Amino acid sequence: MLTRDFLKLAGLSIAQRIIPPALLNLWAQAADAQAKGRKVILVTFGGGVRTEETFSPAGLRNIPRLAALRPEGYFYQNCVNEGVLSHFNSTGSIVTGNWQRVDDFGFEAPASATIFEQYRKARKAGPLDAWVIATNKSFAAMGASSQRGFGLPLGANVVLPKQLLLDAVNDIVRKPQASDVADRDAVHRRLETILQEGYEGVGWTIFKGGRQMDQHVRQTLTRALGSFINGPEAPTSGDELTFFITREVMREFSPSLLLVNFWDMDVAHWGSYSLYLQAVTRTDRLTGMLWDEVNENSKYKDNTTVLILPELGRDGDSNTANGFLNHRSGDPSCRNTWLLALGAGVTKGATETPIRHIDVAATAAAMLKFKPEGMVGVPVREILV
Amino acid sequence: MPPPRFDFDHVPVTFTAYFAEQLRTWNLLFPAEQSYFERLGAYLEKAPPALFAPLAELEPRMGVTPRSWPPGRFSLEQVDFLNRNPLYPEWRRLISAIFNVINPALDAAAKGRTRLVLVIAPADLPVGPDRMWTRLSGRRLALKPPEDQAHYLPLLLTGRPTPNLADSLPDLCSAARGPHSAWTVEATESLLACSRQATRLSYDHLLPYRQRLMAEVGKIAEKGEVRGPRQLGEKLKTLQPRDAEYAADPLMAEFIRATLLAGNGTLLVNNTFVEWASVQAIRRAKPSCIAVGFGIRNKVKPFSSLLIFADQDKATAIPTQADMLGSYVDLEVFYQYIWQEANKYVEYRSNTTYLFVAEGMDELMLVAPPDFAVPPGPITLEAVHHACRDWLAV
Repeated sequence: MLTRDFLKLAGLSIAQRIIPPALLNLWAQAADAQAKGRKVILVTFGGGVRTEETFSPAGLRNIPRLAALRPEGYFYQNCVNEGVLSHFNSTGSIVTGNWQRVDDFGFEAPASATIFEQYRKARKAGPLDAWVIATNKSFAAMGASSQRGFGLPLGANVVLPKQLLLDAVNDIVRKPQASDVADRDAVHRRLETILQEGYEGVGWTIFKGGRQMDQHVRQTLTRALGSFINGPEAPTSGDELTFFITREVMREFSPSLLLVNFWDMDVAHWGSYSLYLQAVTRTDRLTGMLWDEVNENSKYKDNTTVLILPELGRDGDSNTANGFLNHRSGDPSCRNTWLLALGAGVTKGATETPIRHIDVAATAAAMLKFKPEGMVGVPVREILV
Repeated sequence: MPPPRFDFDHVPVTFTAYFAEQLRTWNLLFPAEQSYFERLGAYLEKAPPALFAPLAELEPRMGVTPRSWPPGRFSLEQVDFLNRNPLYPEWRRLISAIFNVINPALDAAAKGRTRLVLVIAPADLPVGPDRMWTRLSGRRLALKPPEDQAHYLPLLLTGRPTPNLADSLPDLCSAARGPHSAWTVEATESLLACSRQATRLSYDHLLPYRQRLMAEVGKIAEKGEVRGPRQLGEKLKTLQPRDAEYAADPLMAEFIRATLLAGNGTLLVNNTFVEWASVQAIRRAKPSCIAVGFGIRNKVKPFSSLLIFADQDKATAIPTQADMLGSYVDLEVFYQYIWQEANKYVEYRSNTTYLFVAEGMDELMLVAPPDFAVPPGPITLEAVHHACRDWLAV
């Protein structure tokens, strides 16, 4: 038994003998209140990234923010994806705690309950307390499973910023005489119009809480669009918009459970190593900005754990069809990723002991103080304090 | 020519399915592939059942039945079956183990002749020779480049400042070693002038076909009719190139179609096409001589680049810009991948000379067996050309 666990048990045992039961109840209530305030943010380097370009000695230059944050958190050097190496199934496994083997391109919901449904059911959490914000536009079904007893009514809100952006740009390109796609104002106007026309058209699921709440959601998302369009860089990236929407959702609704899926690095499929590296560095920057928001936002500061991991790796250079372009070989470069835990309850440290992608949801459930149903994954102990 | 017939009922169905599919499309295989599958078929007929025992034991546990795996069929359904099967990693391990036994036996029968791989980087990359080929281990040789850069490729490939097809390395090789034994694969159209008999592929030259494919893929993607690259490939199987040069050659027409619809950026990025087409040529046709000419990739445009199948010149008024630094980073990896791919095959190991050159640069990188002879000191491109001819004995 770890010394810390022993002391905890010993302390509890002594307390029961010398402290009045009424006071113990008060403590228990306080602990419960604290647990209610606990928040978990899952951040995926979606699209897949190899350790070679991230936490290897040569890769650290591509992720300066995470490299600097690593000593502040707990680092798992071997977080293994033992499942199907497609995007939907990989992230599905992370959020359900069970290896998913459904349609690779998101045409089916995960087969077992997601952490969002489990959390909302167990903690009786409201519809605005769990969100999925995903650049991967095929993640529309990521918020809720097809498992009996769960499903859409208990699911997360799902926002697909890139689909919104694609629709806006597509509309403008189709009518080039009206305005040019390089005109930020034109894109902004079109984005707002699409939002006003309704979320469903871009594949989103937002649980509307009446007219007033719906208006609130729209205003929040519209503000995020403004930050994105008028940002300092030429907007080429779906991930930038994902970040701005995430930040606004955090500021307005402060959900307790949030999945942020960055995905630009899947540009690797184009076969451009430089664009892939740029996307990795952008994801690092955006993840760093998300961490900054956690620390600057009073609703998140000191009570939030952020779990950052790639949904999968990519094929190794030496033994596969075309190296970094793909992610289906099943070689170690593809399956062996990492996980960095930061924030509330996380001690500083690192381990080479393998954990699995399906352990992430179980760990998040333990942090949120509920017992999930039917998860194969188990909580990782090192970051459960 | 009809495919050969083999009896391998004793071989597990998940092993033979891919082989059977290859036999069905026999006339769309290169001579080197046909030779390989003939050797493989002959081997499998005599292979001891013990070799396949672990796989035969695994298949029922995977749920392989005559219904899920009809004998001789290998379609998208089977690919998906494998990908999603919980025992897929074990299946892959067993397949690799079987090939580890088979390959040495097949390799022993493969012919080993001298081969040449020429990899040409474009001018304008923003680095010197010290940073050009950092992923490769070879010899950097001083070169005397011509004063006029336009003479660089003709000198290298034909030995003259203006193309002299009578001395074209790819053409001489093609004449000596047969169809599809010499290839040129390039981003631009520079190599087209240096060869006529070789199998020639140019990304720029394929522009009308690429645009047609992009439009079709864009339409299909917009309608949401397909789930992924494999399904897309199936749907577009009939969309062959119309170019007169390829229309008469079903084998090359299918090669080009498959290369452009591989599910990666071959349709979108010039250098990805060049790399993947070269890798496929090496893997399938095993050319004795291949000249690979890369180019400069364009920069990604704001907003419109999100519409990946749209014509970027029409989608936005922003002018197209070349990405020199990005191209350099991309190509460093691709040099390695091409060299590595060739080294996987017995046909190339120990008897292949690799020349990595950059147009206008005063050095080249040589990766070659010790008996590839080059004169000492800064060498001319004519001398390199003659060394290559001597090496190939053409």
